[in-house]
Amino acid sequence: MLSDRQPRSFLEPAVLARLSGVPLVARRPMVGNVSGRHSSPHRGSSVEFAEYRKYVPGDDLRRLDWRAFGRSDRYYVKEYEADTNLRLVLVLDTSGSMAYGSTKPAAQAGPQPLVKIDYARRVCGALGYLASQQGDAVGIACAAERIVRTLPPRRSPAHLRLVFDVIDEAKPQGTTGLCDVLHEIAETVRQRALVAIVSDLFADPEALAGAFGHLKFRRHDVAVFHLLDPQEMAFDFQRPTRFQDLEGGTAIFSDPVEIAARYHAAVTAYLETLRRIVLEKAIDYHRVLTDEPYEQVLARFLVGRAAARGLR
Amino acid sequence: MTFLQPWVLVALPLVALPLIIHLINQRRFQTVPWAAMRFLLAARAMSSGYSRLRHWLIMLLRMLAVAAVILAIGRPLSRGWLALAGGARPDSAIVVLDRSPSMQARDPAAPETKLATGRRQLAETLATLAPQRCLLVEANQLSELPPSALADLPAAGPVAAAADIPGMLQAAYDHIRDNAAGSTEIWICSDGRTNDWGLDDGGWAGLRDAYAKLPQQVRFQLVAFDAPPAGNVAVRVTEARLERRGEARELLVSVVATRQDSGPDMTLPLKFEIGGVTTTVDVELVGREAVLANHVLPLGRGDSARGWGRVSIPADTCEADNDFYFVFDEPPLRLALVVAEEAAAGRVLELAASIPPSKELVARAERVPRAGLATAPWAEAAALIWQGPLPQGDEGKLVDEFLARGGQAIFFPPEAADGTTFAGVAWGAWLAHPQALRPEQWRSDDDILANTLASGALPVGELDVQRSCGLVGDLVPLAALAEGLPLVARVPDGRGVYFCSTLPRPRDSSLASEGIVLYAILQRLIERGLEPLAGARQIDAGPSASGLEAAAEPAARWERLAGPAGGASTEAAWLAGIYASAGQLIAVNRPLAEDAATVASPERIDSLFRGLTYTRVAGRAGRGDSIVQEIWRAFLIAMLLALIGEGLLSLPRRRATTLVPPARAEAAA
Repeated sequence: MLSDRQPRSFLEPAVLARLSGVPLVARRPMVGNVSGRHSSPHRGSSVEFAEYRKYVPGDDLRRLDWRAFGRSDRYYVKEYEADTNLRLVLVLDTSGSMAYGSTKPAAQAGPQPLVKIDYARRVCGALGYLASQQGDAVGIACAAERIVRTLPPRRSPAHLRLVFDVIDEAKPQGTTGLCDVLHEIAETVRQRALVAIVSDLFADPEALAGAFGHLKFRRHDVAVFHLLDPQEMAFDFQRPTRFQDLEGGTAIFSDPVEIAARYHAAVTAYLETLRRIVLEKAIDYHRVLTDEPYEQVLARFLVGRAAARGLR
Repeated sequence: MTFLQPWVLVALPLVALPLIIHLINQRRFQTVPWAAMRFLLAARAMSSGYSRLRHWLIMLLRMLAVAAVILAIGRPLSRGWLALAGGARPDSAIVVLDRSPSMQARDPAAPETKLATGRRQLAETLATLAPQRCLLVEANQLSELPPSALADLPAAGPVAAAADIPGMLQAAYDHIRDNAAGSTEIWICSDGRTNDWGLDDGGWAGLRDAYAKLPQQVRFQLVAFDAPPAGNVAVRVTEARLERRGEARELLVSVVATRQDSGPDMTLPLKFEIGGVTTTVDVELVGREAVLANHVLPLGRGDSARGWGRVSIPADTCEADNDFYFVFDEPPLRLALVVAEEAAAGRVLELAASIPPSKELVARAERVPRAGLATAPWAEAAALIWQGPLPQGDEGKLVDEFLARGGQAIFFPPEAADGTTFAGVAWGAWLAHPQALRPEQWRSDDDILANTLASGALPVGELDVQRSCGLVGDLVPLAALAEGLPLVARVPDGRGVYFCSTLPRPRDSSLASEGIVLYAILQRLIERGLEPLAGARQIDAGPSASGLEAAAEPAARWERLAGPAGGASTEAAWLAGIYASAGQLIAVNRPLAEDAATVASPERIDSLFRGLTYTRVAGRAGRGDSIVQEIWRAFLIAMLLALIGEGLLSLPRRRATTLVPPARAEAAA
């Protein structure tokens, strides 16, 4: 599927091969147009029993449970779960703040640290590949102050290439307008979809809560990969520093030692608020430090979903 | 603040070093592209006033530490309130010590007197300041003084005389002017008694102006021990009179004990010591004064009529006024020489001079014609009463010699003024007063018209003067008629020369008919003139006692018979005690003014130095610390404290425990 083009830097075949063992499943029923791995709100012809229902004229006589008729002298129709495909909408944050990175991955030999956009590319690339592999439709929206680029979900391998092109060409620039972008996606993606947001979420938490609520209202399954750089958490600069805003704002001169405590307090308060919001909105939230291998993050994500499906 | 090494202060700009380093550090910042600006902005918004203050406090403490090091190296001196005076090490230091008896008062709880404390503190101060020259004003003359010797030097020890602060400052001024001394500090140590400071002396203004015009920098430092001694009582013999009772003699002694502050009534034992025999008499001290009048002390028949004694009271807070020495002798013949050209006036004057004030005394007035002046008994005479043209030539020389050895003279006007002068004074024209004039003002506090011992005023105001003769020359009026015409005047040359401008004739004045005034004038003159002739003399300690008029030989050759221990023999006239000189017994005691606890207010004394560089330091008897001391240790301690404070403020704040990466924490959960 990927062999006729140049290798994508954000795709690692070995990682993808390992992750392929766990299916990507939706936590909510999906409305697909083809048969797939995901549950549907409609009853269908899969092997998984759903419920008995009284026969009404017009029902397919082949679905009558004759054994039940023999026992109870009543007509019951046996219904099964319908499996369908899902639409995966990848929301890739391409605002300027995603260009920050302070850590180097173990495998990387070069002098450049791993920036958050690179990490996000890998997460998006892997999710897109895994979804496409199991026949799901994959679309993408690059979000900065607005939707920079977008592709609607499609199932074809050619479309996946286009998605990879968008991921490859995404450049971190501009301010964060993630909330507006999510509202727009909630409005434009009509059918139920798995909306996977990969972002550092540097936005107003209350505005994010509104955007998440909008997506949930549209019955989308929302997964969030919250990317944070370890230095953004530690904030252990020792010298007076001029902090240049990556999103074009005013630079701030400060003595980090002086304000470290208050910085940590602000981060803690923000994360606590975010945690409350995702719990309220039932968001599949994953806080990710960029020094953690993305394979580990995705494995946790996939296994968690598969386990939830198995328990149902 | 004074520094022993003021040149170190040029390094004071280094105080700005922390600030400069801070600014340099600010320039050496790193620039970091940063994504989580919202947290940074939130952190800055949360920045409390204390955090900003802490930053500046650290800077301030660093600057303080640097300043403290520099100031400590400069060897700062502490002078209490003098710290504000400013200045560096002086070239010369002049010590003006008030050594009067009142400076020997002490605090009840302290062993040191005010003078001893002041001397010790000044010695320590001068040792610390280490000026190039150190001088002590001693009897209005300056002498070199090793600072370390000040505390033990006899010349700086206590005396019985009052201090002459203006005179000593004048001597210091003369020295500075004549020797072109450099920057000078004048250290005055005094208890601020009004009699020592001569507050009414008109010379203060001139002295102040003179100091202000000096090109040298002169700083005055007054160490003021002006706290009055508590419960101090001073004893004084007001009269010691010898009387005969048949073959025996008795000594009548009058004593006054004065308390300088109020206190409860008490019984005060007065101890009399005469010829080795001691007797004690209790007197009741009620209020502020106890008087023992004419206390009779019988003397043996075989005893000499001449002798001395001492009255003492128990020790109190000032020992210098607990003893009083007195001498006694048979009164000498009260001989007055009367020279009169006008017979009637001469008779009146002779009569007034020949009547003794008491029956025990023998008085004689000897009429001397002008032609017989050379053979007159000048050596035995106490007073000269002269009516007629003023003495000239040989007559004048005889009178001058008489005055020089302590005799007293009073001149009455001639019938016709001849323009001759004596002692710088000449007779003017006679003035007739159709309406008799009466004296409108006279000196009742001092001199020959003073009130009586019983505080009764002489009836000077009842005199009628129909004619008076004018007086030309420099005179101090003792009694003046209306329109300022002098009636009685004194020549201010230190000798006993008096002028009376009228005659005791009925057509001139009522001096004869109202004879009390004339009698008192003449007898007082005779009394004064007898002092050098008496075998026993009572004098106040001080410069007047050391003069030739006070004794037949200089005080340095007086033989000391009794008195407190210590003191140099050259200062005999300044030390209380009994002395023998040329067959005369001399009792030297503190002046009367020393018994009064009149302390000038600080403002009054400060006003004397208005316009000059002057600082006052409060002294206290027995105080152990120094006036000036090096305080570099305090600055080093300040530096250490500043560094400790800086270190505490610079300690990093405790990190928040939320630094554990939340994602990993969640994963672990």
